[in-house]
Amino acid sequence: MLKMNEQEDEDYKVIIIGAGNGGLVATARLALAGVKVLLIEQHNLPGGFASSFVRGRFEFETSLHELASFGSESNPGSIRKLFEDTLKIDAEFLEIPEAYRVITKDLNVIMPFGVENFINAIEKEVPGSKESVENFFQLARDINHAFAYVGKSKGNPDQTVLLKEHSNFLKTAAYSVKEVEDALDMPEKARAIINAYWAYMGLPMSRINFTIFAAMVNSYISKGAYIPKLRSTEFTLALDKKIRELGGNIMYNTRVEKILVKDGQVTGVETSKGDKIKTNYVISNASQTLVYNKLIYPKSEVPDIAYKEVNARIHGLSAFVVYLGLDASAEELGINEYSYFIMGDMDTEKLYDEWKELGVPKGQATVCLNVAIPDCSPPGTSIIYITTLFSPEAWANVKPEEYVDVKNRIADGLITDFEEALGISIKEHIEELEVATPQTFARYTRTYNGVIYGYEPESWDSVVPRLMMMNEHYYIKGLEFAGGFGRQCHGYSSALNDGELAALLVLNKLQVRVRSKVDE
Amino acid sequence: MTNNNKNKKFNITVKSNTKDLYSFMKLVPGRKKRIQKASSEPITSDPMNELARKLHPERQYLIIDNIKDETKTTKTFKFIPDPDFETKELAYFRAGQYLSLKVEVNGVLITRPYSISSSPNDALKGFYEITIRKEEHGFLTNFIWDNWSAGTEVVSSGPEGFFYYEPLRDKKSIVGIGGGSGITPFRSMARAITESILDAKLTILYGSSEEDDIIYYEELKELEKKYPNKVKVVYILSCEEVTLEGCEKGFISSEIIKKYVDVNNSSFFICGPQIMYEFLDKELKKFDLPPKKIRKEAFGEIKNIDEFPGFPKNLAEKTFKIIVHQENITKEIPALAKESVLVALERAHFAPPSKCRSGECGFCRSLLISGEIFISPIGDGRRMADKKFNFFHPCYSYPISDLEMEIPKDA
Repeated sequence: MLKMNEQEDEDYKVIIIGAGNGGLVATARLALAGVKVLLIEQHNLPGGFASSFVRGRFEFETSLHELASFGSESNPGSIRKLFEDTLKIDAEFLEIPEAYRVITKDLNVIMPFGVENFINAIEKEVPGSKESVENFFQLARDINHAFAYVGKSKGNPDQTVLLKEHSNFLKTAAYSVKEVEDALDMPEKARAIINAYWAYMGLPMSRINFTIFAAMVNSYISKGAYIPKLRSTEFTLALDKKIRELGGNIMYNTRVEKILVKDGQVTGVETSKGDKIKTNYVISNASQTLVYNKLIYPKSEVPDIAYKEVNARIHGLSAFVVYLGLDASAEELGINEYSYFIMGDMDTEKLYDEWKELGVPKGQATVCLNVAIPDCSPPGTSIIYITTLFSPEAWANVKPEEYVDVKNRIADGLITDFEEALGISIKEHIEELEVATPQTFARYTRTYNGVIYGYEPESWDSVVPRLMMMNEHYYIKGLEFAGGFGRQCHGYSSALNDGELAALLVLNKLQVRVRSKVDE
Repeated sequence: MTNNNKNKKFNITVKSNTKDLYSFMKLVPGRKKRIQKASSEPITSDPMNELARKLHPERQYLIIDNIKDETKTTKTFKFIPDPDFETKELAYFRAGQYLSLKVEVNGVLITRPYSISSSPNDALKGFYEITIRKEEHGFLTNFIWDNWSAGTEVVSSGPEGFFYYEPLRDKKSIVGIGGGSGITPFRSMARAITESILDAKLTILYGSSEEDDIIYYEELKELEKKYPNKVKVVYILSCEEVTLEGCEKGFISSEIIKKYVDVNNSSFFICGPQIMYEFLDKELKKFDLPPKKIRKEAFGEIKNIDEFPGFPKNLAEKTFKIIVHQENITKEIPALAKESVLVALERAHFAPPSKCRSGECGFCRSLLISGEIFISPIGDGRRMADKKFNFFHPCYSYPISDLEMEIPKDA
């Protein structure tokens, strides 16, 4: 029996819009289950933000600093399991040697991976902080256990079990990092060290939800971090290959212009090439913002509640990246760590405000790729990328003829800050330089306003309420979402995991349908 | 957790036990309430995508405003937005960038990259100039000479390429080495410098085979006169008889370069024919400059791939078969070993996206399913993962066996 409004003559069981992290995994996972899928991508290669580009002798990683939730062979994380056990893709990942080095005006410390080492390193730097930091990680573990329990319960957890066994999870879920760290009585300096990862969340400590932040920090510190050997294009092309092998179809250079909807049910998509392709299920890797405001056709099929949902949420930040190909090795330059967080101080409120203007933000997350992948560039050279964030609005009034000057001024300032923090000089070694701004991210992915960080995970809209309300967001039948604007918040591993979740949810619906057919 | 508190479970209280649990209970109703209270107005503005489309339009619809004869074989075409299409303003660019023009020649759709020879300011005023030299057997240039006139419609890409002065990387003293029509990006750079768009100084070493072939002579003279501290042009002529005053004879050798340029405090930009690149490689080697000091404009179509080391010469005249898949279409086409796969595709009326025709931009990137190709050793712009998964650039790859491949289709 067909569900109400579904059509019988569909071209594909499921069409996936966008070959970003979420879209690729969703497609591969459905193809693995034998579902007839079509993945449509506007660019001529997969990946979205997960990409790479060549300039001269260098190939730059577009946006990935480090992949969390990958884990070692003996202690695999969800992404390793997804890539190696479930999808069996052909991509190699290398381990990043240390967690990070954080440099502020009164801190300069190299942080190791491994929870115990990490706690001890903080204690050494900030005597007396140990208990509070241990408790931080205890809470993070409790959050993981709670997620595992909620997952096992298929979204219907027993309230008494939650209260009895996962009270730490419940009692922190509605709070910001600051609120919980206050309660833990954690010394300021210890917070500055732990909170350095806030750069990957992009909102101040008073607003980042504790649950998502603690889970992220714990994932990095306990499982380590990894980076694809041949840049992100390696795993995205491996996924592309896997999808083809599993019988899935992919159309590149093709943009979905419309998601066709009739009487509240998805009926197909219309592409930039003028094709109308029929389906009852669409998984969109494009955000709710784009889908409801631009893609649903006719517009009268978009209910008010969908606009309200998008408008209630806060769009995250975009990024600014300086990619440097240097004609000296990392050792020659005096760069020994993979990952640097360099901030004037850890006043995250202040820095968040700086990102709203076109100054040189006093905060950067900088990576030297050669430290993890020594042969990522020719001998005697190195690759560094300096990342800061910006509110897209800061760039809204930049005229095309001013654009290069503006980005170069900021890039120059960030390079100078990096040089000063490390006490080294790199400018005379710049052989290749590329600068990406919010405009660049918009250009290549068409994400709304160049946003890279999805919707901001304040406590009210963080992972817990998103997951708890998961089933209440189906305003249009047959429409599912996957990716960095999704249930599990932004970031590579969240988007990849969310792609798998989206596929499983759609599979679930498809199987219900198949079963009801057999039942007749 | 350390050993001594292994058994002691830590229980958090953030505000108070009741408040903490209450806050959790309120998460979902609170979120629902926030959503209900929000505006139901659609979002209509997206400034970053708007800026992206201004800086990097997918296409620009142009018409020829007028054509100027520069030399007996060279014309400058002035393009303005085509009033019949949506292009209302022209994308700004960095002096040295090119446009990829898409032209239908006798039923065959091809692309060609041409450096923009006008100033970036001119784009704001509403025009681009492109200067083209007629090639003896030029497939496209013959067509242009016969067919293009004021009012002709031409479809172009946005500004492309990386051949530009980058203040964070390059020395303020730029040396532009141009051969023949390779002078065109330097005219744009000279303008950008004299119009204070770029804060740099440009010395152009301009090689021509005949005096008659020199493009922009009067114009550049004037710029030199007006801005003696910013622009200098040295003419190098390879012909026997030279009447031009103050010029150099022969080719652009290390001696000539040394004579006019502070070699160690300059950044070199080179644009010209293949033969000039080969000559200059040897000459510049004598200065032992780091790679960062020498930037070469993308080559364009290679004319003599069979003379490159590693190319199987015995196959040069052979024709192979390519099975081409493009979306739902599959077709078998012939392909000459010494012509790029892209040319074979165009001859067979496939028009995959392409821009640089130099292995750099990635627009023609395709999947090689089976067969052997020879990839140009210069300008192999493939990503490492492209190599691993058999993606290649047809514009810089040559068939040396029968092939099967999947190509993209223009959006």
